[in-house]
Amino acid sequence: MISFYDKILQTISYFLVVKKSISGYRVFFNKLACSTMKKIIFITIGIFVFFACGEKFEVIEDFGKEKYKLINQNGAEVIFPDLTKGKTAIVGYIFTNCPDICPLTTNNMRLIQERLKKEKVEGVNFVSISFDPENDKPDVLKKFAEIRNLDLSNWTFLTGQKLVIDSVIKKAGVVAVPGDSTIYPDGRKIYYFVHTDRIQLVDDEGRVRKNYPGSKINVDEIVGDIKSLVD
Amino acid sequence: MKSKIVFAVLFFFVLINFSTSVSQEIQNPKSKIQIHNPWVRVAAQGANTALFFVIENTGEKPDTLISAESKIADIVEVHETYAKENDMMGMREVKFVAVPSKSKVEFKPRSLHVMLIDVVKDLRIGDKIHVVLTFKHAGKIKVKAVVQEMPIMGGMKH
Repeated sequence: MISFYDKILQTISYFLVVKKSISGYRVFFNKLACSTMKKIIFITIGIFVFFACGEKFEVIEDFGKEKYKLINQNGAEVIFPDLTKGKTAIVGYIFTNCPDICPLTTNNMRLIQERLKKEKVEGVNFVSISFDPENDKPDVLKKFAEIRNLDLSNWTFLTGQKLVIDSVIKKAGVVAVPGDSTIYPDGRKIYYFVHTDRIQLVDDEGRVRKNYPGSKINVDEIVGDIKSLVD
Repeated sequence: MKSKIVFAVLFFFVLINFSTSVSQEIQNPKSKIQIHNPWVRVAAQGANTALFFVIENTGEKPDTLISAESKIADIVEVHETYAKENDMMGMREVKFVAVPSKSKVEFKPRSLHVMLIDVVKDLRIGDKIHVVLTFKHAGKIKVKAVVQEMPIMGGMKH
């Protein structure tokens, strides 16, 4: 996959090569009076520059054609990514038994939300998807958000059937595998996931455009990225 | 009038004495092990959360944190968060944490923490919890931690 910066470099290299070619073969061009060829070259360059500048973020993954049936924190059935279509979305992947990384990720999403609100940037949705649906029932997700005083006006927590959740996170490139566990005196077992630390920037067509390490993002960077995608 | 003044002065001294005894109960200032900036992350009843602080060993001898206990959770363990390749993060129990002499060991997000498993009540911002940390040499140290969502900013408090 060619990144935006690679494309810029390619464009510059292309310009240099073409410029050298033009000066080197100017006589040849003149002799042949090949003005059509020149036009083709410059049109090609123009098209290349247009696409390189127009696509700031590569498309990492496309949720756009998918319709995952999930359940929000209120117990209502929703379709992901339809609920974010038409808006830019910040999507985080968490499990609520996580004491460290996932609360950090959630808090970072809150910081982004607050910053966007302060800067009056509209048209952004927030989605937190649990990869532990067996524990994270809607009421658990609701309490997780409520105790943190999160603003759920544009933020949805999602859970669902394990098979569906597994499909979502696989598509998102998120890995979550049960790791170490703690055993209660009565034999019950709590497992902790080894998981990808991730927040994703998803565009208004449901395409993943950038990944961030959720627990240690640079808020300035991600807010800047959101603005350039919203604009 | 006089008796009211005497009563007020006595009450004042009683109050001072009481507050001093409470703070002494939390941490012994003469201990070679001091716990700074303890805070615990917000959590709903039944969930897990993490306690963070800085251990300072002012003594000439190393010490070791060997356990933590609290009535606020069903199970209390010392854990560490670790990073793997491809932005993968995990967590595992650690059986002890060495604190070399004249050094500080930081329990902080994405690193060491005391894991409070299955907290018995909601922990909301501003609430306070009590935890006892047991060191090999310094013995039991009581810690009062405040509930926060983010680390306490600013300098260390003694």
